[in-house]
Amino acid sequence: MTIPSLTLMIYIITSGVFISHLFIRNSIVIRISRALFLACVSLHLISIILLGKHIHQLPLASIPQAINMMVFFASVIFIPIVFRGSTFVLGVFFIPAAAFALSLVLPFTGSSPGPVFNPYQPWYPLHTLSVVIGEALFGVAAITSVAYLIHERIIKNGDIHSRGSNLPALSILDTLLYSALTLGFIAITIGMIVGALWAAALRLDLYNIAPKAVTGAVTWIIFAVCIHQRFAIGWRGRRTAIITLIGFSCMVFLLIGIRFLFPGAHGTGLLP
Amino acid sequence: MNRIKCVSINHRVAPVHIREQIRISPKDIAPVSGKDSEAYVLNTCNRTEVYYIGIDTAALLTLIGSLSKIDPPQLEKVSELFTGKQAIYHLFMVASGLDSAVLGEPQILGQVKEAYRDALKAGGITSTILNKAMHRAFRAAKRIRTETPIGRLPVSVASEAVELACHVFGDIQERKTLIIGAGDMATIAARRLKDRGIDELYIVNRTYENADRLARQLGGKSKPFDELYTAIKESDIVISSTASARPVITCAMMNKLMKERKHNPIFIIDIALPRDVEQDVGKIYNCYLYDIDALKNMVDKNITDRMQHISKAQEIIDYETSIFEKWMKALDATQTIKELYSLVEIHILDELKNGAALGEEERGKLERALRSMAKRLLNRPVDFLKSHPGLAHIEHTRRIFQLDEDYQDRHKGKQTCPDTDREGKREYIEYKTRS
Repeated sequence: MTIPSLTLMIYIITSGVFISHLFIRNSIVIRISRALFLACVSLHLISIILLGKHIHQLPLASIPQAINMMVFFASVIFIPIVFRGSTFVLGVFFIPAAAFALSLVLPFTGSSPGPVFNPYQPWYPLHTLSVVIGEALFGVAAITSVAYLIHERIIKNGDIHSRGSNLPALSILDTLLYSALTLGFIAITIGMIVGALWAAALRLDLYNIAPKAVTGAVTWIIFAVCIHQRFAIGWRGRRTAIITLIGFSCMVFLLIGIRFLFPGAHGTGLLP
Repeated sequence: MNRIKCVSINHRVAPVHIREQIRISPKDIAPVSGKDSEAYVLNTCNRTEVYYIGIDTAALLTLIGSLSKIDPPQLEKVSELFTGKQAIYHLFMVASGLDSAVLGEPQILGQVKEAYRDALKAGGITSTILNKAMHRAFRAAKRIRTETPIGRLPVSVASEAVELACHVFGDIQERKTLIIGAGDMATIAARRLKDRGIDELYIVNRTYENADRLARQLGGKSKPFDELYTAIKESDIVISSTASARPVITCAMMNKLMKERKHNPIFIIDIALPRDVEQDVGKIYNCYLYDIDALKNMVDKNITDRMQHISKAQEIIDYETSIFEKWMKALDATQTIKELYSLVEIHILDELKNGAALGEEERGKLERALRSMAKRLLNRPVDFLKSHPGLAHIEHTRRIFQLDEDYQDRHKGKQTCPDTDREGKREYIEYKTRS
């Protein structure tokens, strides 16, 4: 069994254990879940290092590799969340989603178009890493948004003693959502600025970058509006959660959809 | 086991005017207790109970009667007597809140512990058996609280409201709370919030003096009714309970106010009849509104849920009672000596199993050496137990050699719940049905 398949298997097992926590609420299940999650992240890191060694570059040369990296960063961000008592249950939302995403992309992470850039250029890691970290943070924000909307519904219905009611308090979810959103926005902004500078330095053909850059800008604007509205008129909670989910959907479209709609346009590894 | 008895004057059998007359302290038992007797006294608003060993029941009832100025025959009519396993079962039921007027209420465990502390302070009133019984009772209560939802689900409107607020704000201690009105319901809710450690409490009432009085009582601050709008704007939790015929908090007011407070969440409890808050306020963004009916429905559901988990709680009590019964039966020198020998035999057999590779002759030698060594080692504790067969010595020996199930289970890393041995529960239920 290869390391990536083992990683995926551990992610799936961990998802099962996390979900079982909803039915068997005791400290042993929590401890096992946390230990398994750490194993997931460690194995994931090893698989990424091995992949990097195999393709002799940062494993961000294709969309599956970028998603794989994004899931890894999101998992790293989730470590303190899972280890905090009040937010542990968010793992029930995140880990199955991570396992699902990995199951889609892991079979394709091995193939790479080969080194297509000058590895001594600082633009590439700066642009790709900040964008992927930003996307990972938006992923965390999206998971938190789902939890927020569910918990708010539970509270409004007065069903706070039901099985799914041990979600973190709305104020905690809102703080987490806002932090992930702000940090993600900063990372994406850095990534976009660096990307623009890189494109200018390479004098790229506009056709190659336009569709993805435009969609990226739209997503960026959605998150920018969300953060601005919070500062200016105090949007928080449900509205922020809904807009985050819209922004995240745009981001997913950006990552996957555009690859099929505009083949050859700004796909990682297709640059001259 | 039949040495343990309990006299209980509780809410099921004694009316309130009798219960409020009866208050006894552990020291009051001294005149009827002997050298080897033990006693534990529990006083709460719903019950007065004495668990005792080696005390004459008639003498005890006379003593309670004389202390509370109630005739012994009348006292007998309003009291229940439990013996042996029934008494232990009853103690565990009481400590777990399963015998309380409000099923599963958590306060009773604190009262049972407090009474036990009093008994320990009084010195020598409880001893080996009742000490063990009390610890088992605490354990049973803790298990019921952690393994069943009984006790976790609030059964009062105020507790449910606080629980809801915690789901919105997490830690509510630093949240500003506003009470509108100074009536009984508002006071109860405010007290409950104060118990949960709310620091900033404001009270607004049409009659400023009443608001001021309540604020002083609860350690809050009062504000005139004119400042209601500002007070709501600055608060996170609002509890309204006025006698106003028209709504005090309207949709228009809240829409304006929420914009001004930048949509910071606000949690409003309306416990007034007629309602103080317009119903549509609950639909405003980040407004969480609950009226008395909504809260009552939630509480009713919690009560139903508690009832559904009674059988699981009773299983735990059955198990804990059976463990205690086994321990009681083992409180005998001959039994303890027998168990000591069995323990040694287990270790000898283990060692012989390890030496399976040895020849017949070597094995024989090893076995003889082990048996001789074990005999010599056990000789002194066994002689001591035979010459000092007191409860304390037996208990110490059992603890040193870890003969009781608790210790053995801890070693195995698991605890099994026997599904047999429901005799105690059956006896208890039959007894209750008869009485």
